[in-house]
Amino acid sequence: MTLAPDPSGSGPMPRMPLTPPAAPAPAPAHAPGPAPASPLVVDRVSRWYGNVVAVNDISFEIGAGITGLLGPNGAGKSTLLHLLAGLLRPSSGRVLVDGRPAWRQPEMYRRLGLVPEREAVYPFLTGREFVDVAARLQGLPDRRAATARAIATVDLEPVADRPVGTYSKGMRQRVKIAAALVHEPPILLLDEPFNGMDPRQRLHMMDLLRSMAAAGRTILFSSHILEEVERVADGILVIHAGRLAASGDFREIRRLMTDRPHTFRVRSSDDRRLAAAFMTEPAVFGTELRDDRLTVQVSEFSGFTRIVARVARDAGVRLLEVAPTDDSLESVFDYLVSRR
Amino acid sequence: MTSLDVMVTVGWVTARALLGRRRTILMALLAGAPVVLGILIRLGNGTRPSALQNVLDVLIVSSVLPLVALVFGSAALGSELDDGTGVHLLTKPIPRWAIVVPKVLVSGGLTALLVVPSTLLAGFLVGGSGSHQIGVTLAFAGAVLVGGFVYSAIFVALGAATSRGLVIGLAYSLLWEGLLSAALAGTQLFSVREYIRGMASVLSNGDVESVVGGSAFPLAALTIGLVAAFASARLARHEIRSGD
Repeated sequence: MTLAPDPSGSGPMPRMPLTPPAAPAPAPAHAPGPAPASPLVVDRVSRWYGNVVAVNDISFEIGAGITGLLGPNGAGKSTLLHLLAGLLRPSSGRVLVDGRPAWRQPEMYRRLGLVPEREAVYPFLTGREFVDVAARLQGLPDRRAATARAIATVDLEPVADRPVGTYSKGMRQRVKIAAALVHEPPILLLDEPFNGMDPRQRLHMMDLLRSMAAAGRTILFSSHILEEVERVADGILVIHAGRLAASGDFREIRRLMTDRPHTFRVRSSDDRRLAAAFMTEPAVFGTELRDDRLTVQVSEFSGFTRIVARVARDAGVRLLEVAPTDDSLESVFDYLVSRR
Repeated sequence: MTSLDVMVTVGWVTARALLGRRRTILMALLAGAPVVLGILIRLGNGTRPSALQNVLDVLIVSSVLPLVALVFGSAALGSELDDGTGVHLLTKPIPRWAIVVPKVLVSGGLTALLVVPSTLLAGFLVGGSGSHQIGVTLAFAGAVLVGGFVYSAIFVALGAATSRGLVIGLAYSLLWEGLLSAALAGTQLFSVREYIRGMASVLSNGDVESVVGGSAFPLAALTIGLVAAFASARLARHEIRSGD
């Protein structure tokens, strides 16, 4: 898991912790190497359109499991996915899928499925025909069975024989996913896959992604809805202004953000006494008691979790609850984006 | 799966896409215009054998054929790349020529399907049933059949090369073939309209005047091959427009 440094300087950004002296060096789980073993490798990739840099010197590797690609609009998420899907040529650097360059490599689509963000599907085909065309072009031996399986997987059977042009946005999304899954690719790229789905469909799709990841597939999906990523992804890539802001497990990323205090909500038998006791601890920046709720700001996540029980015991206070309040993905994302 | 299966699938989807109700009606109306003119001539003064070549050349070869081929050819590939549906073909393990060839065949075939009967009907209505006139009409119909594929190949290739394929195709037909070819004889070597006249000349044993003459068939075949190869190469390097 890695964080990118604050890009106040210029030049390429090596993968390194956010605050190198204070934070423990993270394991280079996503560092690129000369002999890539990961299905998806992005090695010092930039992509620009004229004078506009869409992706700026990004490196990472993605293995089996679900990785969420996060970033605000215009951050470069779709560009990155299109580079990985072989639909864009990198201006510099390498994009490798299964160790081979993604650009101009149609054969790789036997092992890769893409769900594009754009809704564009052939409106005159029925859902079944649309998936069947994908199965035919993949050269599947039993395409009827594969088509039926893919349609069932996305729960689209009741409307499979209706023209796609009559579908709702969520249905279109699901039929695109069915077409991308019909050849059961080990690598799946999804650009905002939950767009337009109702809550039940989202949950179904999240379960589907989890089951595919459990089967050893490599799944990368972009989303601007943090809750979706938090609920599904094993790891995240945060991209902002074309640069990789962070990669890895978002809770670990949060713990490396040592230049920003962590906040805990504490409930106890005597919050006032406990707040006074915390103030004697060097790791505690401040406490706040408002509306019978005690919040504590600390410099180090793990350090506080080690002392909190002792401090309460010494103060003669019974702890009822200790919970981090800003450890959500949204908090991590806001922080990473705001410091850019 | 063989390349033939791939091309049949791509061709089937392309035909379904091109045969949208509104487009088909508009193109049928356009192709029907020479027939309507022929009917009006018949109703007025009977046949006009002396006007046959002019009617077929001006109405069919110079107007209807390139316009119908432009609409079908540019929609076959360029529109799909523009509206994003093309990505469903591009992300499949198939060679790019297996996308281009069926699109040329289907758009050219649909163009021929509309314009060849229009040529035959207009020719019979205007020229009558004299053997010479029937020969000229059949010669134009044969030339239009091949010319439809040449135009379609060019317009499909333009769609692969640029998002402004429709405008460039229209400019080619109106400016290059319409104005420049009339003024500068050398440019006629690169004019599909001249190839069609040349093929009609060959098929009518010289009854139709032409600059390229007997070279028309090889030039037409060469053009189809070259632009299809160019379109395949461009499609292999096609980059999607990223929204983010």
